[in-house]
Amino acid sequence: MLKVRNFKKKYHQHEVLKGIDIEVNQGDVVALLGPSGSGKTTFLRGLAFLTPGDSGVITFDDQKINIESATPSDIKKLRRKMGFVFQNFNLFANKTAIQNVEEGLIIGHKVSKPEAKRRATEALKKVGLQQYANHYPSQLSGGQAQRVGIARAAALNPEIILLDEPTSALDPELVADVLQVIKHLADEGKTMIVVTHEMAFARDVADKVVFMDKGLVVEQNEPTSFFDDPKSPRLKEFLSRISAVNVADNSFEYEKAVQK
Amino acid sequence: MPPFSFKFFLSVFGQVLPYLPVTLLIIILSIIFSSLLGVIIARGQLGSSKVWRTVSQGYVFVLRSTPPIVLLFLVFYGLPKLLLLSLNININDWQKSIFVIIALSLLFASNLAEVFKSAYLSVNTGQREAALMVGLSEWQAFYRITLPQAIVVALPNFANTVAALIKDAALAYVIGLLDMMGAGDNLISRNFGHHSLETYLALAIIYWILFVIIEQSAKYLEKYLGKGHTIASKSAEVVA
Amino acid sequence: MNILFLIQTFWAAVRAIPVTVLITSASVLIGLPLGFLLAWIKIRKIRILYPLAVVYTSLMRATPMVLLILLFYSTLPSFLNVIMNQKLHWHIKVFDTNPVIYAIIVFSLIAIANLSEVFRSAILTIDPGQKEAALMVGLSPIQAYYRIIIPQALVSAIPNIGNLTLNILKGTSLAFMMTVQEVTAVAKTAASYTYNYTEAYIDIFIIYFILGTLLQIIFRYLERYLSRHKLRVKAV
Repeated sequence: MLKVRNFKKKYHQHEVLKGIDIEVNQGDVVALLGPSGSGKTTFLRGLAFLTPGDSGVITFDDQKINIESATPSDIKKLRRKMGFVFQNFNLFANKTAIQNVEEGLIIGHKVSKPEAKRRATEALKKVGLQQYANHYPSQLSGGQAQRVGIARAAALNPEIILLDEPTSALDPELVADVLQVIKHLADEGKTMIVVTHEMAFARDVADKVVFMDKGLVVEQNEPTSFFDDPKSPRLKEFLSRISAVNVADNSFEYEKAVQK
Repeated sequence: MPPFSFKFFLSVFGQVLPYLPVTLLIIILSIIFSSLLGVIIARGQLGSSKVWRTVSQGYVFVLRSTPPIVLLFLVFYGLPKLLLLSLNININDWQKSIFVIIALSLLFASNLAEVFKSAYLSVNTGQREAALMVGLSEWQAFYRITLPQAIVVALPNFANTVAALIKDAALAYVIGLLDMMGAGDNLISRNFGHHSLETYLALAIIYWILFVIIEQSAKYLEKYLGKGHTIASKSAEVVA
Repeated sequence: MNILFLIQTFWAAVRAIPVTVLITSASVLIGLPLGFLLAWIKIRKIRILYPLAVVYTSLMRATPMVLLILLFYSTLPSFLNVIMNQKLHWHIKVFDTNPVIYAIIVFSLIAIANLSEVFRSAILTIDPGQKEAALMVGLSPIQAYYRIIIPQALVSAIPNIGNLTLNILKGTSLAFMMTVQEVTAVAKTAASYTYNYTEAYIDIFIIYFILGTLLQIIFRYLERYLSRHKLRVKAV
């Protein structure tokens, strides 16, 4: 469904992405792991042309985009197939929770107002926040805000949802609810790419785990082999450096999420 | 309207620039006095004395709504009367520039008090506490730790206030002071109202240059003084 | 101190308040959309217009208000006369035009320059993530601007718009130089017969204090009303 070839990006003189190749199939949940500064977020934002890459080819279904020669209408067409969940939520500060979800439906996708309201209400219900529909973002906790962010992306029914470290701006005790919502989407068969640090979550939910380091994809595999049988020295080092405490902590939050 | 005379326009500079020192003197003295008064008012607003707090807050509040020209005339006409009636002091023969400086100092003391106050408050109280805990005295904590940081914070607003003061100082000619504006005004009357466009345009350019000098030196100073603060925030951009 | 004169002149000056308020509000209302346009030119760095916008803003902000008033009032009527009557042959009596119109033009020009800076900085403070999120849910860049960014920028600009309005209000005390019959002019004229200048300026001082205070109350209320979405209610 989505195929990326030789994606490159430079900041000033620093080469952040040195040629990323990735393939995502319909219904896949791809977890993107790697140390900070490895370029995961840059890559995800590049896919959505929020910070466009310098070169490479993105193929999405029958749409093939050469990054250097992408036109605004190419980008618009591509973005219509994507939902994006931001690390710091980026909820529209001047709109209530439900208006945040409706905005894209009514204005972006020309859905009628009653239909948009119905779909927005349903999306909020799915993330367990229908009683917060009329709250402004500043009145929501981080975890609630991020769940609205996910509802906003999912309500548009995109072919793929890109999640950029959806839980890393949250207090530990709020992580579980958000992960549970994401797992829900995965169970429904949504295609997703998730940049994350939650190892337990990646292991349990992802169909494929991709490890990036220093601007390159170092290793990718299905989760069990990825975590239990790492091949490359750099992944081994990465996995060992994540302290036992950290993993335990993460699993704890995640298990809470699963139990709910 | 006579056509624009470029020659006259150029000659205006020669006629009004000799009065630049008068304008500058008024500006500089007003900045000094308004800063001193501003510090006192800011101190009053932040202090523990309820009376002083009310007085200084009231002062700032009232002066906020006062047009500069109104204060200038009030000082020019009212102050001599007040002093004569209350203390029997005759200041009618004082130079006009003194009234201008008093009016501008009174007016901008209230602006500067706000600038100083918010700069002081913006410096984290933790900074003072940390200084006290490493053995500095209250006064040392203020002038070694809090003050240097507050100055950097205050600088942009201070520069804006100075720029506003320079502009309001141009009103001095309405009470008959012979500064640059006064010289320009005389020039127009000598030409029976002709060439006002050339005169005003030349004056506008001089004020514009003054403004740009203030603006740029504030920017430079801010960069120079703010060295300690800004480096860390700059490098954060690149992290992906 | 001539108390009787003080009171009489006060009421005379009060009757001129509508002129002062008219000039202030008209200038700010004209300045809001045009200032926004100018801010947009500066942010998007529109070709050709950008350097003009920067120079205009800088000149208007650097030049003393009194000088701008003198400059425009001494040239604007003649200029309009040349354009309208000699070039377009509209035969409008430019020199008979109510000076209030000229005052509104001058103060609008000042308001536009200052408001453009207010809007520019307000727009730049909005997190770029807001625009990104808007684009990702399918809004066009222009829709993102007027549905998401502008409403937020307007709220954060309100205190500065209030300050500018206060400055324009205070600036109208110079409109007497254009023979406008506003508060200052009326009181000054009354004083010129009897030389009770101190009393007259006390009257003006009081009126501006009242107007300025009302203005600040209005803007504080406006700010509170518009920033409802910023109210921090303890999250449940």
